[in-house]
Amino acid sequence: MGILSDLAARFRRDRATLALDDIQALILRSRPEPYVGLHAMLHVDEAAGGRDLVRRLAPHIPAAADWTGELEAWTGVAISHTGLAALGVPEASLASFPVAFRQGMAGRAEQLRDVGENAPAHWEDAFRPGTCHIALTIYARDDAALDAAIGRAMGEFDRSHGVTLVGTHRFGADVDAKNPFGFRDSISQPTVAGSGVEPQPGQERAIAAGEFILGENSETGAPLAMPEPAALGRNGSFVVLRKYQSRVGAFNDFVRAHAPEPAAQERLAAQMVGRWRSGAPLPLAPEHDDPALGGDPRRNNAFDFAGDPRGLVCPHASHMRRLNPRDGQLTILTDVNIHRIIRRSSTFGPKWSADVTADDDAAADRGIYFIFISARAYDTIEFLQQEWINRGNFIDLGEERDPVVGLHEAPGTFTIPASPVRRRVDGVTTFNRLRGGEYMFMPSLSALRWIGDAGWQG
Amino acid sequence: MTQSKDPRLADETRLAEIRRRVAELAQDVPQLARIALEAMVRDHNPDYKGSARKAGRAGKQSGNVSELTAIATLKPGGADRLRRIFDLTDGNMDGAQRVSTLHDMRFVFFDDDTRILFATTYDGDWDTYINDFATKIPGLMDLLFANVEGWPGIGSPTVKDFIAGHQIDAAGWFVANPQVTVVDVRRYQRTEKALNAFLDAMAANAAMDPATRAALETLSRAIAQPEGVDY
Repeated sequence: MGILSDLAARFRRDRATLALDDIQALILRSRPEPYVGLHAMLHVDEAAGGRDLVRRLAPHIPAAADWTGELEAWTGVAISHTGLAALGVPEASLASFPVAFRQGMAGRAEQLRDVGENAPAHWEDAFRPGTCHIALTIYARDDAALDAAIGRAMGEFDRSHGVTLVGTHRFGADVDAKNPFGFRDSISQPTVAGSGVEPQPGQERAIAAGEFILGENSETGAPLAMPEPAALGRNGSFVVLRKYQSRVGAFNDFVRAHAPEPAAQERLAAQMVGRWRSGAPLPLAPEHDDPALGGDPRRNNAFDFAGDPRGLVCPHASHMRRLNPRDGQLTILTDVNIHRIIRRSSTFGPKWSADVTADDDAAADRGIYFIFISARAYDTIEFLQQEWINRGNFIDLGEERDPVVGLHEAPGTFTIPASPVRRRVDGVTTFNRLRGGEYMFMPSLSALRWIGDAGWQG
Repeated sequence: MTQSKDPRLADETRLAEIRRRVAELAQDVPQLARIALEAMVRDHNPDYKGSARKAGRAGKQSGNVSELTAIATLKPGGADRLRRIFDLTDGNMDGAQRVSTLHDMRFVFFDDDTRILFATTYDGDWDTYINDFATKIPGLMDLLFANVEGWPGIGSPTVKDFIAGHQIDAAGWFVANPQVTVVDVRRYQRTEKALNAFLDAMAANAAMDPATRAALETLSRAIAQPEGVDY
């Protein structure tokens, strides 16, 4: 059963308490597998022209109502702080956004640990601060549906003035939804309370809606701070966008160098990721890959770490366990439920194969648009970068960093718990290099119209 | 009546004071009761036990660790001179590290750079070590404190009285590791480094006798599993 039909079967309209008619579909809507899509980045040169485009795009953005139902294609739109300013949003509103969002991702490099080769000075031109004003993402079931949706969006763009198309990027995922390293990705998605779908036995509990939708109660019991006025903030969310170049060859070489034969190499790679290539999680498939399990959305995320406190099955330092420690014991007081993210990453470049080596990485043609949605996305990514990715203190591993997405300015270590004694693998390098990114705000549908109509002038 | 010297409370009537106190208490009770209850039911590990004793003549002591908080008036230009020193040393005070009992020192300027708050955490009793500082790092002590009005010099027989006269006992002070000295931490760091090298060697040791294997398993169980920080 695919993830969409599974969700559709569990959706209960009467249980939905969110304003689904006002929330952008992209926030809640899972992508079919396979899927295709397009990212487009726009720069607003002239406020009135930019607002005109936003107003004409708004009717093309579907609402989250019926978010589990079938749809040929759907478009989402998000705006950066410099974008809101370029659109003429009043200063009082701009100032009501959280400081990290106001500063933009490049301005937060220190908090994000984006230093060395990941520093904004080395980013691609499209991510120079103040360039990305509006991000448009289209997902579609197939190329024909995507082309039709692109045609509609481009039609509106062609009729607009004062807006520059900075760039577009087309992508797709096949039925296995593999990332550049050959692992099924975007598996663990939180259940949003009030969305009309409840978690199943074995799955994690639903997360308070306010963690994803502004104006709803968050895990603290109260809504998070919301940009003003409510016409702009309510039912919106925030998006983190980070483009990574994946050094698949260096990763392959690392695994080859530290394990004697292919089966052991696959095992080491799985220990670094926390899942086998099919997506089967180590806690449910300790010995070898289980493609049926990996492809089953009802089972591939239905586990916790209660039976594995020592990390003998799934290393504490594995990417999956770091980024969602679930019920695992941590050294530091942590509320894992406020760091959850709705994953909307997309992959680009050739499909993974084992014979890719570090020499092939020079082409720099493989990578990930790491994209996620949360009402505190800017806080979450800064927390993740500082604590769960580029540190090991929370799992008693000192300075050790995430073996897959960590920044390793000097070669790092990956610790694999074992009996009677743990193994440490040295020589971990930066397998995913940051090429740029931005903090975006994903307004509600009514807020898009408010922006398009310059609602503040009324 | 209130024991506070806060002048804002001077004109408060007796009735107003009672009302204020009742309101404050009502507000604090749920949290206070929880803290008290947790303290009662909890079996505190003696390794982590703190205390709120006096640290000799002035300051508070918790376990093996003491605090010293002092406020003094700076000489004109003193704040700038100290800033230059701090900028130069970049937080890395060699002399201070040589003392081997200093956990931290904090220098805060306030009232338009006319006054300084100096706060430090150190191991043992302050009186015991001041003589050692005077002989081991007199230069650093004088460099830092010569900018304070009235500093008699580290070599002066009145220096202890001078410092004690400026000291204010902390009203509240929490120490995460009251039993652990700076010397202990350095030993733990050395131990961990050596232990990791040993474990690396063992991980590569294919031919392990059963006694070694069992001992290593016991060791791994004790150290290789994240635990919450317990008090």
